[in-house]
Amino acid sequence: MSYDDVEIEDMEWNEELQSFTYPCPCGDLFQITKEDLRIGEEIARCPSCSLYITVIYNMEDFQDKPNKKAEPPKPQSVAVA
Amino acid sequence: MEENTVVQESDDEQDIWSWGAGTDGQLATGILQDEHTPQLLRPLSSSLGLVTSLSCGGAHVIALSSGGRVLTWGRGTSGQLGHGEMVNCLHPKLVNAFQDSVVTHVSAGWNHSGFVLENGAVFTCGDGSFGQLGHGDYKSQNLPLRVSYFVSKRVEQVACGMRHSLVLLKGNSENRVYGFGLGKRGQLGISTEKVKSTSLPQITIGLTNLEIVNISANGDHSAALTADGSLYTWGRGFSCASDESIPRLFEAAVTVDEVALGWNHALLLTRKSKEEIMPIIEKKVLQIAAGAEHSVLVTDNGLIMTWGWGEHGQLGLGGTDDQVSPQVVSLGNTSATKHAACRVFCGSGFSFVLRNCSQTRETK
Repeated sequence: MSYDDVEIEDMEWNEELQSFTYPCPCGDLFQITKEDLRIGEEIARCPSCSLYITVIYNMEDFQDKPNKKAEPPKPQSVAVA
Repeated sequence: MEENTVVQESDDEQDIWSWGAGTDGQLATGILQDEHTPQLLRPLSSSLGLVTSLSCGGAHVIALSSGGRVLTWGRGTSGQLGHGEMVNCLHPKLVNAFQDSVVTHVSAGWNHSGFVLENGAVFTCGDGSFGQLGHGDYKSQNLPLRVSYFVSKRVEQVACGMRHSLVLLKGNSENRVYGFGLGKRGQLGISTEKVKSTSLPQITIGLTNLEIVNISANGDHSAALTADGSLYTWGRGFSCASDESIPRLFEAAVTVDEVALGWNHALLLTRKSKEEIMPIIEKKVLQIAAGAEHSVLVTDNGLIMTWGWGEHGQLGLGGTDDQVSPQVVSLGNTSATKHAACRVFCGSGFSFVLRNCSQTRETK
């Protein structure tokens, strides 16, 4: 059973892991790559335990289209006002 | 994250035990591995005296010594250890920033830390991406930085959750609780409107003129306890209940002495559970602690009991099975002549026990 449903905007982009991440209750991070999202995968797994979450996102945001910007929307605003 | 009561000081010996998830060094065992049974640690420091309290976060721990010194260890990749670097630390290490200060209260969140000084100043460090450090920006800090918003106020407690923080002021002012960081689930309690986040502290509404004695934060939840044992909760709803964006009184005919928040559950220690034998465990309960998905209690005869999620050995029962009712943890033999006073502390996927042993103290 999925531990939680998490919106993509609540996940953080982790440069080192090249993945979107969200805290796992074990202390590690649930992880999913852009490629996973591109092909419609919605399960983000924790490498340390059996838990996983369901990622809520719009698949179209992760498709490479010439007219659309390739980068997905920022998962969260980190801009300083 | 962790409620932060001070253990009665004594000159007697102290044992510290840890178990559960350990791959970031959070168990202070010196090795990066999970432990399924309680591990007796070497004294954290030879010169600092006894540890009076611990606060355990996502994968790091803050220890407060009897002299008001602070030691940290575990995951440090967001700067949450306050050592001026962004690396994990396998062994307890003194936070030099507080060398000349007396720290009275600490709190470890998912990846950030809060420290309150005797003079009422509050400092934060670690992950600041959601504004949870309260400095008016979204930057992370690897050294404790004073939260300047409170420079003319006296802070009593700080509570760090997953991506938010709460502060409780000393004294009798009208509004004593503040929130900052992520507010999406209502965990800041600062507005009935939707709040994404705030990087500057704002007053938590709905607690005006209440005599708050304790604040707690874990996951996306927040709680405050009043002197007369009333509990207020706000933030993410438990078991599919809707989120509460302002503090709501927990209405039950009980006097609450302690609250321990997990990520999807909460424990309440009522006055009654300290005075009367609890049916399931057939003991009185003195103290409680909650990890993200596990729970720990201490009975009046010094037993430690655990239940909940066990995959990383966080129940300390020797295996990785989940438990649906409290099970006794074996801490090794205590001499029958010794009186041991235990306190328990939980991080997301791990557990700690402070056991103060006294040869002379009489058991009440």
